[in-house]
This record gives sequence, structure tokens and C-alpha cells, in this order.
Amino acid sequence: MRFLVMLAACLVLSTAAGAAEPVPVGLVAILSGPNAAYGTAIRAGAELALAEIDAGGGPKIALTVEDSGGTKDGAINAARKLIGRDHVAAIIGPTLSNEMFAMGPVANGRGVPTIGTSTTAAGITDIGPFIFRTALPEADVIPVTMARAVARGVKTIALLYASDDAFSKSGFDTMRAAAEQAGLKILTVESFASKDTDFSAQLTKIKALQPDAVGISALVEPVSGVLLQTRQLGFGPQTLFIGGNGANSPRLGQIAGAAADGLIVGSPWFVAKPDPLNQAFVAAFHARTGHDPDQFAAQAYDTMKILDEAIARAGSASPGAIRDALLRTDHHGVMGPFRFTDHRDPASAEGVVVLEMHGGAFRVAE
Amino acid sequence: MTLPPFLADLIWTYQNVIVALGVNGLLALAMYVVLAAGQLSLGQAAFMGLGAYSSALLSLRLQLPFTAVLPLSVVAPVGFALLVGGPTLRLSGVYLAIATIGLGEVLRAVYLNVDVLGGALGLSGIPEAAPIWLIYLILAVALLLLWRVGRSHIGRAMEAMRVDAAAAAAMGVDVRRYRLGVLLASAALAGLAGALSAHATDFIGPNDYGFEPAVTILSFALLGGIGSPFGPVLGAWVLTLLPELLRGFADVRLVLNGVVIVLAVLFLPRGLLAWRMRRIAA
Repeated sequence: MRFLVMLAACLVLSTAAGAAEPVPVGLVAILSGPNAAYGTAIRAGAELALAEIDAGGGPKIALTVEDSGGTKDGAINAARKLIGRDHVAAIIGPTLSNEMFAMGPVANGRGVPTIGTSTTAAGITDIGPFIFRTALPEADVIPVTMARAVARGVKTIALLYASDDAFSKSGFDTMRAAAEQAGLKILTVESFASKDTDFSAQLTKIKALQPDAVGISALVEPVSGVLLQTRQLGFGPQTLFIGGNGANSPRLGQIAGAAADGLIVGSPWFVAKPDPLNQAFVAAFHARTGHDPDQFAAQAYDTMKILDEAIARAGSASPGAIRDALLRTDHHGVMGPFRFTDHRDPASAEGVVVLEMHGGAFRVAE
Repeated sequence: MTLPPFLADLIWTYQNVIVALGVNGLLALAMYVVLAAGQLSLGQAAFMGLGAYSSALLSLRLQLPFTAVLPLSVVAPVGFALLVGGPTLRLSGVYLAIATIGLGEVLRAVYLNVDVLGGALGLSGIPEAAPIWLIYLILAVALLLLWRVGRSHIGRAMEAMRVDAAAAAAMGVDVRRYRLGVLLASAALAGLAGALSAHATDFIGPNDYGFEPAVTILSFALLGGIGSPFGPVLGAWVLTLLPELLRGFADVRLVLNGVVIVLAVLFLPRGLLAWRMRRIAA
């Protein structure tokens, strides 16, 4: 009973808020549980952009942040609450591709434009005409990395991936396709489970085949574990390690240290990118939070700006008008120039930089 | 539908929670039937997965209507229960718990490695064919059935087995048959719950049916108490609603959630509903 009263009270509040000036926008991110670091970065990036928007002239945005907890049920509940109760005109998020596959149909069915900032798996925008993403899909990033490997003389490759996680599996599919496209000979494909700590069986087999490169698609913890073990098993610097998006995290250097040296990974953004817009963003983020932004914060920062411009172009808080305006996006953000394709994916991968691990930190690869 | 707009909006907003309440209620009953007979069998999540995957495949590959899919969804879990029932029912206590958790993990590995089942990406695009009223109708029928059975001589035999299986056998209760019976009933209920949830949320993945859900289902029954079938359903509802009711507390939400559960276990050791059904005189 108390539950119903609470619901009714919230309903009254939200209808009252609907009459006010700012456009209601929702953010769904992982703010609790083991993957909370991603969501916290996304929230910080979006809130920094919002503070700058409020300081400028443009249309005001009233942001409601909801936690998904990293589960698909959590993401669905958050989206339903944002749409049904807060009547948001658009949603930024959720964090994981899996969450988007669960939550996307709900938002799309209600005609609320939803923009994933970190959902890189294949098929995200196939959910429906209201689902956008500003995250570069791995299908755009990995070929750039592969091309760099080919330029370094790589001819044969072994692939290794975590088979129990949607992100890693999707990244592996992309990596295999990119390797074939680049004309590399795939010597073997090995898999493991995300929580595994021993990879010696797979690595011993790979070592015997002597590939020029090893491609790894997994989250950062298992990638670190694999790299640490390759050094124990005697893989030398002649083997080039290629990471998927999961390896694109400063934590790789913190966990694996020097064992990760030489690994290359494609990234849509890099903290030390020299253009003034990016430097201003990094400085502002540092002043606000006390630490450097990561890729997730940068993507969320750009996305909030893109959405704000779309709301200004739409000239109304109607989700349909905002969706149409999003398609006409022409933004220059910290990740570089940005437009959407007709299929609501990022139009170009020219912002991709190939990074290389060196002494436990990333730098731009030569 | 002819609901007033504010009510339609309210139902739409909480649709996922309303569905979860019904589905988790069914899962709690699946747990109840085995616990009521003294079997610590934790295969409910695995049976739910079998029901969900088999029904999703029937819908996606064969495009069968939901009215045909739902009854068929119990076939795979019940068949699997028959298959594993023989060897596992020799076990009891924690050994049975470990064996049934192991079965769930085996199935999870199968889902991950069989391409037809989508691997880690799961199956998506399942038609949203399960109406809310049907979920609650099935829950109500299951509650009523278990209530009637619990009050009959079958319920008496099950309680005797729970207290002391050897003594019950000495009194003429066919313990093996009862154990297989409750396992099959549990598999059927969990299979239905799996099919209903798969056809209410449009997407399923292998990690929805692993170790964590198995333990969550057990906690439904333990929090609610197993004196009657109503206890586990109440437990499921409390555990499903709490995180949503506490949404307003944002960052401390999970902490409060945990505190409530710990307090309930400390002060209500026999469950929220520590009430025993009265039996019909034999």
C-alpha cells in the first residue's frame, strides 16, 4: 500500500515538473557493483558537459541519473522509470552493450531517442530507429589497429578471447573478420572464461605455432593476466600483442606493468591528444574531480554536448523532433569531428588513435 | 486497453517489476516444493534456463504461437529432471546442493559454447507475448494447487520427510518417489517461469541462469519461510521490490537492501511468514 502511495506521490511531482522550462534528459549508468567505475566516469563526463552548457546560453537540460547496477533488469527498470515517471525527452546510456540489448527495445518502443556512449558491440543500432550510439563500434576501431599491425610486418596471428562475456565475444568476432580482411593468416583460435587465472594451456599451444601477433579480446583483468603469463612462458618482444577495446584502460598498466609493454590497441580518444579542445576538457575535468578523465568520460562529455545541440536544433522537447535533429548532428568534440550515419552509428573513425603500452602507460604508437 | 492514462503510464513504468514479481513468485514456489520435502536442491535456475532457452528457440526458429510454446516449455526442464533425478536423488543435504549447482554450471557452459543458443551474446528479439495477467493466473493456480496438496496426506508425507526421511520411510512413505515427484514439479514450475520471463523481456543470456540466480531463488524461500507456499512468494516479492523502493536512496541503496535482509534473518529466523498450514485430518 505504501508503495502505491509513493508511486502516486512521485507521479504528481513529475507531472508538476513537466510544465517547467528545462528539457528533461535521463542518464542510465552503472553506479554500483563491480563495474561501477565505468558508470562513475560516464556520469562525471556528462555532468561536466552539463555544467558548461548551463554556463553558456543554450537550452537548459534537467538531468536525472539512474543506476542500472550493471544488470539488464536494472537497466530496463531505470529506463521505464525515466520514461514513465520523469517523462524524459532523451536518454544517454546505458553502459554495457548487454544492457542496451535489454533496455533499447523498451525506449525504442516508446519513441525516446537513446544514445549509447560506450556500447561497442555489433548490432546495437539495429534495435530500432531511436537507438543511437556515439561509441565507435569495435568494427570501426579494430581494422585500424590491424592495419597498423600489418604495417609492422605482421603476417600470421593467433586469436584469444573470453567466451563467456558478450562484449569479449562480439569483439572477437570483429577481430577475426578484421584479421581476414587484412589478409592475415589465423593460426589458431583459443578461448577462456573471464574469471580464469591460468591460461598456460592456450598460451603454450600459441607459442608453439610462433605467430607474428596475438589478438586478445577480453576485459582488462583477464587481458592483464594473459600478458603476465606470456612473459613467464617466454614470449619475447618479437610477438606483437593486439588488444580489443577491453584492453584500452589505464588499469592494464597498473595490473600487468612491464609485461604489457608493446601491446597496441585502437582508441577513439587519448588523454594526451594535443588539440586545444581536448586539453581544455582534460584540465576542466581534472579541476572538477581531481583525476584525469578516461575514454568513458570523454565519450559521455561529447554526447551530452551533441544532445544539447540537437535539442537546440529541434526547438522543442519532443522526442521525435530531437531524434530527427540528432541525425543532423555536426559536432566537433574532444574525440574529433562527429556525425551520425543514416544508421545512427558514428560516421567516421578518423579520430581513432593507435596506442602502445610503454613502461606501464599508454603512448601514441609510432 | 481502456485504462485511464495515468494508470496505463504507471503500469508501463513498473511493467518489468510487475513481471518480475510474478516470475520470481513462481521460482520461489519451485524452490518451496523441494524444500518442503527436505531436499536442498538448487537446480531451479538451471530449469528456468532450460524453459527460457527452449521456449525462445520454439518462438524464434519455429515461430510457434505462444499458446503452444508455453506448455511445451516444461518439456525440456522436466525431461532433464527425469534424466538427472536418478543419480542425484541418492544425495542429500549440501551434497545435493553442490550437485545441482554443478548441473546449472554445466548448462551455462553449454549455452556459452553452442552457436544456435547465441553463445555469450544470448538470444534477442524474443516476441513479448506473455501478458501480465497470464503470469499472475499461473502463479495463482500454482499457489492454490500447492496449498491444496500441502494440506492433504501428500503434504503430511512431505513434512515427515523433511523432519526425518528415515522415519518417514519406516512409516510407509515412498521417499524416492516423493523426491522425484517434487523435483519434477519444481522443474515444471521453474520452466514455466523461464518461458514467461523470456517472453516478457525479449532478451536472454547464459549468465541469467547461473550460480547467482540459483542462490537468489533460495533466499526467496528462506526469507519468506517454508511453512506454507505463501511464505516463499512473499519472500520473493520483498526481495524483488526492495531495490526498486529504495531507488530514491541512490548510492546507499544496496547497503540498505543488505541491512534489511540481515535484520530479517536475525530477528525472523523462521521467515517473514512463520506460519504452518493446518492439515486435513487423515
